[in-house]
Amino acid sequence: MTVILDIDNLSKRFGSIQAVNNLSIKVEQGSIYGILGPNGSGKTTTLGMVLDVIRPTSGSFTWFGQAITRSTKQRVGALLETPNFYPYLTARKNMEIVAAIKGVDNANINSVLQLVGLEEREHTTFKGFSLGMKQRLAIASALLNNPEVLVLDEPTNGLDPEGIAEIRELILKIASEGKTIILASHLLDEVEKVCTHVAVLQGGVLRAEGPVSTILSAKDQIIISAPDTARVLEVLRQLPFVEKFQPNRELVHLTLQDNFSSADVNKAMFNAGIVLAQLTVRRKSLEAQFLEIIKKQH
Amino acid sequence: MNLLRIELHKILPYRTVWIILATFAILLTLFLYASSQVSVNGQQLGESMYRLPAFWQRLAYIASFFNLLFSILVIVLITDEYAFRTLRQQVIDGLSRADLVMAKIYVILALAATGTLFLLLLGLYFGLLYSTDRSLSAIFGQIDALFYYFVQSVGYMTLAMLFAFLIKKSGLAIVGFIAYTIIVEPLIHFRLPEAVDKYMPMKVMGSLTPMPLQEVLDQITTPSEVLSPALAALLTLVYIALFWLLSYYVLKLRDL
Repeated sequence: MTVILDIDNLSKRFGSIQAVNNLSIKVEQGSIYGILGPNGSGKTTTLGMVLDVIRPTSGSFTWFGQAITRSTKQRVGALLETPNFYPYLTARKNMEIVAAIKGVDNANINSVLQLVGLEEREHTTFKGFSLGMKQRLAIASALLNNPEVLVLDEPTNGLDPEGIAEIRELILKIASEGKTIILASHLLDEVEKVCTHVAVLQGGVLRAEGPVSTILSAKDQIIISAPDTARVLEVLRQLPFVEKFQPNRELVHLTLQDNFSSADVNKAMFNAGIVLAQLTVRRKSLEAQFLEIIKKQH
Repeated sequence: MNLLRIELHKILPYRTVWIILATFAILLTLFLYASSQVSVNGQQLGESMYRLPAFWQRLAYIASFFNLLFSILVIVLITDEYAFRTLRQQVIDGLSRADLVMAKIYVILALAATGTLFLLLLGLYFGLLYSTDRSLSAIFGQIDALFYYFVQSVGYMTLAMLFAFLIKKSGLAIVGFIAYTIIVEPLIHFRLPEAVDKYMPMKVMGSLTPMPLQEVLDQITTPSEVLSPALAALLTLVYIALFWLLSYYVLKLRDL
């Protein structure tokens, strides 16, 4: 796979605060890459550095294998922290300025405004927009020159549930066109629903990185009980798809390998002549997993 | 030139710009009109004051007091971009930091040209109304005063630009600019011998539009050492380059 963004040992220090500490990640083409972390974990600082507005203290990065220049910037559309526009200008006028900076034709403005559902409001001044509309205008502006990469920093911040759902749909729609998306968020749920890859940041340090399925969807836990616990344990020991199990008084907690479910356990027990009195699947909450990732490395 | 086009997109619909330009135009016109009504020894000053070509120098001198308005406008335009975070967005979207400063230099040149053009119209209107000698040499004889006014105006606004990029907040930047130009530098002049302080930025720029009748004053009091407008123009260009460079480094060395 082609590496779109390669961050190598990037660090940023603000006075006594180490905002980002030796961060190295690679974003591959076509992925939806989530940067996940609590507020103040260095997500915006990291994006600010790769977008040329914050000077790194040390380290380096490349876009498409090159140092950042006007031509690499034209292949990236970005929304950093807040939608930034002239409040006294209309949506269209603001977009004309962006079009002039990006060197694209004004004809593109209609289609992106349509994409984010603002074509009816193009003559409203930016200050008259609701937060959700401002956010959508910023996404429209990032998409104006049809970039290969879209960088979004907390795109659903401050939106109501409907607005959040709309933005997420929009992101998935854009991703389905084959664009690479880099998304910073403090919402686990958002990253899990939208992203293919994730980097977990805490205190400016990379805690975990990889495909969302391996980092965030840890295995569900199955809880079983039967009148004869000793016999159950004996059977479990022989089942190849049981990853681990742990007796807990009359209950047994177990986790399975990928592609196996509680039905397989039930069947195996039944075949061994054991009737389960209880079979429960407990989904591990994302928050619990997240806290685990963060705690693990303290 | 694309940069100028982008700036015009921002400025033309901005009411503050028009209000400040209108203030400049109205105040300057009123000032000129009112001075013509002053009578000295039963004779209206108007007639002699407007006589070309000497009127160009008087006009440039009077207009030089309004440089403060243009400087405040430049500070507002730049600090706005910090407040709206649009400088940051423009760098993300593709401009370099050098482009950001260059764009404001274009704005400054456009404002100075607007002011100078307005002075030209005012000068021709009042001048032709009151001058008896209407030969070309009389009308355009000392028109170089307008050129010096243009250079001065650019100089003031470039310094204002530096304050705006450095301080970022409009109120503080305006206070800082006024404090430097009106209080700090004059205090320094006070401490320094004239041979030295005549090279300081405010004094150099001031020498571009010398006070009319300065020669008369010099006969009464000790003549003060001032630079010729031509030398002052050259030094002002050096200061403009310096303020420009410093503005660039302020942007380059800081996070946006």
